[in-house]
Amino acid sequence: MQGFAATKLNEFEQGKISRRTLIETLTLAVTAMCAANANAAQVAAPRGVKAALVNHVSYTCPDFKQAGDWYSKVFNLDQVGLKETEVTLPFGKKGEQPYNVTAKDVPLTFIICRTRDVNAPPANGAAPRPRPTALINHIGYTVADFDRNRVRDQLKAMGVANLRDGGEYSLHMTDPFGYDVQISGLANNALTDV
Amino acid sequence: MERFIADLIGKFETGTISRRDFCEGVALAAIVYAAGGAEANAAPPSGLKMLGVNHISYACPDYRKARDFYSSVLGMEKLKDDGKGRVNLAFGPAPGKGGSFIVARNAAANAPAPARAVVDHVCYTISNWNDARVNAALKAQGQNPTGRSGSVNVYDPFNVQVQLASAEAENPFI
Repeated sequence: MQGFAATKLNEFEQGKISRRTLIETLTLAVTAMCAANANAAQVAAPRGVKAALVNHVSYTCPDFKQAGDWYSKVFNLDQVGLKETEVTLPFGKKGEQPYNVTAKDVPLTFIICRTRDVNAPPANGAAPRPRPTALINHIGYTVADFDRNRVRDQLKAMGVANLRDGGEYSLHMTDPFGYDVQISGLANNALTDV
Repeated sequence: MERFIADLIGKFETGTISRRDFCEGVALAAIVYAAGGAEANAAPPSGLKMLGVNHISYACPDYRKARDFYSSVLGMEKLKDDGKGRVNLAFGPAPGKGGSFIVARNAAANAPAPARAVVDHVCYTISNWNDARVNAALKAQGQNPTGRSGSVNVYDPFNVQVQLASAEAENPFI
């Protein structure tokens, strides 16, 4: 699309097309491309290994129930699969498809809130996990129809801590264990986030 | 859309935006347009509706190693690589249409105090799962996958656990 826009812009600058034609051509191209993308997205079968979606985020903290309740409240998530040390929070109801995913073998993303020693040696005698030298320092979540002011007001009303703006499109907050959580709409994406 | 593009042309003509900004603006318009009409992108009457993980912010000693790992092993698309210390690694639906990305960046010298919680791993769904194919593909990339049928683990260059799973092996409702 960028190349096409550049070509048409050149033609406009060289007087080959009018301003009106440039506007109409780019408008048509944008809307046509969207229609084509809607049909073609995810049709191609992945070869080798290709991540289709986040399956789950494994979140370990001192009190998984407290974390589960916080994420449930803030993001309107149900809790399923309560166990002794963990609870699962899917991003939707049973039978729903992940947003804009058509493949039938891609489940809803979920968070697992856990309380455990992540450095403990595995019970099966396998080698303990190596010490990581990188850190997932926050997770950004996409919510529907994101309006920063409205969402900020809602989160304030819930008593969410340390609310602050993040760039043009998002909000940051802190969960009960000091973990940074970002929230945004679809406008915050791999092409806009810098 | 027509109004937006006309405004963009006006800004270009007055020098408010560069040629590059103009072209990127048109491309971005396509994404925003596509996302805007979806019924699922509607908030409920009260509270928030979660659509998915937007991004995973990943701080490490050398973002290039992370970039190369996640793009070659998990097929993520490299976007907005600044060549200095940050890249977006996109996967899933298209950007702006529900796709996710990893922001791989060099860790800041003055990182904030660590939280009392940690995201100890992220699991990615692999569509059309086949144990033999997944294991062979990972080994071909120099990885040493361990796990069970439908779910394997590898470690990225900075020893962060990466889980890959099928819908059957890792499903919140099964």
